[in-house]
Amino acid sequence: MAKLVAINNQKHRNLIIDTSKAEQYGAELNLIPTVLSEFVSLAVQYPIVFTKNGETGEFVCAAMLGFESSENLFWQNGQWQGMYLPLQIQRQPFFIGESSEQGNENIGENKDYIVCIDVESPMISEAELIKTDSCNKLYSDDGKESDYLIQAKNTLANLLQGEADTKAFITTLKAMDLLQPLSLEIAFVNEQTTRLNGLYTINQDKLAALSCDKITSLHQSGLLQPIYTMIASLAQIYALIERKNQRIQSYT
Amino acid sequence: MNKDIQNNNMKMTKTVVIVGGGIAGWLTAGRIAAYHKQSVKVILVESPSIPAVGVGEGTWPTMRSTLIALGISETDFIRECDASFKQGAKFANWVDGKDDDFYYHPLVLPQGFNQGDLAGYWLNKEEKNGRSFSEDVCFQEAICEKGLAPKTIRTAEYGAIANYAYHLDSGKFAVFLQKHCTEKLGVLHIMDDVNGVNTLENDDIKSVSTQESGDISGDLFVDCTGFSSLLLGKHFEVPFKSCSDVLFIDTALAVQVPYDHEDSPIASHTISTGQEAGWIWDIGLQHRRGVGYVYSSKHSSEEQAREVLAKYVGDKFDSLPVRKIPIVSGHREKFWQNNCVAVGLSAGFLEPLEASALVLVELSAQMISEQLPATREVMDIVAKRFNETFLYRWDKIIDFLKLHYILSTRTDNAFWTDNRNPDSIPESLKEMMQLWKYRSPADHDFTSNNEVFPAASYQYVLYGMGFKSDYSHSQHLLNDWKFAEQQFNKNNQMIKQASDALPTNRELLNKVRQYGFNEI
Repeated sequence: MAKLVAINNQKHRNLIIDTSKAEQYGAELNLIPTVLSEFVSLAVQYPIVFTKNGETGEFVCAAMLGFESSENLFWQNGQWQGMYLPLQIQRQPFFIGESSEQGNENIGENKDYIVCIDVESPMISEAELIKTDSCNKLYSDDGKESDYLIQAKNTLANLLQGEADTKAFITTLKAMDLLQPLSLEIAFVNEQTTRLNGLYTINQDKLAALSCDKITSLHQSGLLQPIYTMIASLAQIYALIERKNQRIQSYT
Repeated sequence: MNKDIQNNNMKMTKTVVIVGGGIAGWLTAGRIAAYHKQSVKVILVESPSIPAVGVGEGTWPTMRSTLIALGISETDFIRECDASFKQGAKFANWVDGKDDDFYYHPLVLPQGFNQGDLAGYWLNKEEKNGRSFSEDVCFQEAICEKGLAPKTIRTAEYGAIANYAYHLDSGKFAVFLQKHCTEKLGVLHIMDDVNGVNTLENDDIKSVSTQESGDISGDLFVDCTGFSSLLLGKHFEVPFKSCSDVLFIDTALAVQVPYDHEDSPIASHTISTGQEAGWIWDIGLQHRRGVGYVYSSKHSSEEQAREVLAKYVGDKFDSLPVRKIPIVSGHREKFWQNNCVAVGLSAGFLEPLEASALVLVELSAQMISEQLPATREVMDIVAKRFNETFLYRWDKIIDFLKLHYILSTRTDNAFWTDNRNPDSIPESLKEMMQLWKYRSPADHDFTSNNEVFPAASYQYVLYGMGFKSDYSHSQHLLNDWKFAEQQFNKNNQMIKQASDALPTNRELLNKVRQYGFNEI
């Protein structure tokens, strides 16, 4: 379980992060939440789909890494095999927390975001124990933020903005009735079949039937690109099937 | 043919006047308006001074289709009508009244129902594990016992992981429907008292007179005036056929019980608990429970009845207002007379043992809407078919309700023993009971298009109450024990899966209030 603590240059002066371990977070995820800004990077290898958040039922965008829960077909031999690591993995072990200094009256307004770290993350090593290329300090000896920390904060900021953008994207798609369930029945090389469940994609028929006004507004909001990127990324499902087939065959 | 009659016959059904609001009036208005849109004018006139009966909180899964047909969002419905999910009924203390005496009539069919006679295998299996019929063949009982919801926040609206219906606040539902019908479906709403009925030469209703809105004319009149049955009963004097010789209950004492706190668990099912002279219903909405004791005044005084209800409700009872509602058990000899059709309490009423009142409203509204006679010429034919259809349905419901009583072994009050008197049992039910002595109820026992309860429902009640069909003459038909075992195992699997995946009702309803269901 994560234990999130706001970072400061006193408590965490000596923390070293081994970034090569970031990938481990995704080892057992078959769906990873994504944001609009990384669609183009993701689409090269991963199908991008919509799925529903387990807690709220709201739609989110996700990169698909496997067919079953806990199945990540890009994780092999303790390593991430993909070309691009989704931001949700890259930003580990950092999280965004909300400061509650205002007390209860202003919940939702004037939130201050603070950078937190999961102090129980396996990525954290004690200073001086391990020194490799992938090890990065959070702070310099005199307490200044390291380049690594600055970069991590930028990633978090991208994610935060990205989440807002993606939410607006989904709201627009819903308003135009452009979402539909992704229904695909798949047979693997061992004749085991699976039917995709709980995944959604763009309704291409409805998209093609949109009025000029709606298309223009999508274009002006910069949403046409992510729409078409998602559609193009669906072809990656076949590559994913191939990966699974290879994995099945390597066990037999 | 007389020219006037000819003209009258050609008259198209363009205006439907519904007299009476409440759930019956608004569901009927909504069904017709949603289906016929601008082509049929729907007017609902209701009295500002006559309140609706205010009970009637259990529904069937058909209500989901009805809401969809009216274009209503499930999220809105749940938020505005204090609604919760109903997955069947739990009948406690109906057999011998002991503490562990209960069984379920769930909404999901027994496993493998369409593939084989699982009930037969269940009755004859060697390992009697002490579990009841519904427990062994249907995973829904386990869900209900744990207070779990029939789906998750990720399920699309109206979708189900386990089949479900609703419990709802009838007053709020009527207001909600009124708003939807007037704002989205173009129904014209007139708040006024009807004080007269004006007729044509052929005895059809030409219009109803009102206190301040003049005469309201129409081609078809729907009587939703409740127990008073203003049009069908009072004006057309269609006789009432009592069934108090079969179902003895004639009074209800109803009370609304608050939860102990905001997060108290909400039951997944209607609880029906047998009492000395009747039974108590217990329906859990989001913000309160609806509880009522229905009893026979021939077998209990009102004072005794209040005591029974007080004991069930507990400490809070003394501070709660109790409503007494007389129940005249039975229905009109026909429902459609001339150009007037009754829907709801104006057509009839039975004790709410299987929540049949609202489903009869839904079915009536649907038939009127889908078979709306194009002209007066065909109205008599539609009326005849409507009457046949619903007379059949009322009879079947009476039989099914009686079934709950004849299988009881309670002897603590004459109410129970009188209920088993053969003179009080309809012939049709006696006949079926004879057949079921030797085999389980099956689909081929219910072949009319107008059936109300499926064979599975009869199985749940029969075997839930300990009835034993004797298969000694048909052991040869139980020739696929592998199938049976598969089904029992599948049921256990599904119980486990459901228990792991499903939230509690309270959790899910809170999430629906906050996030809503998605349409897909």
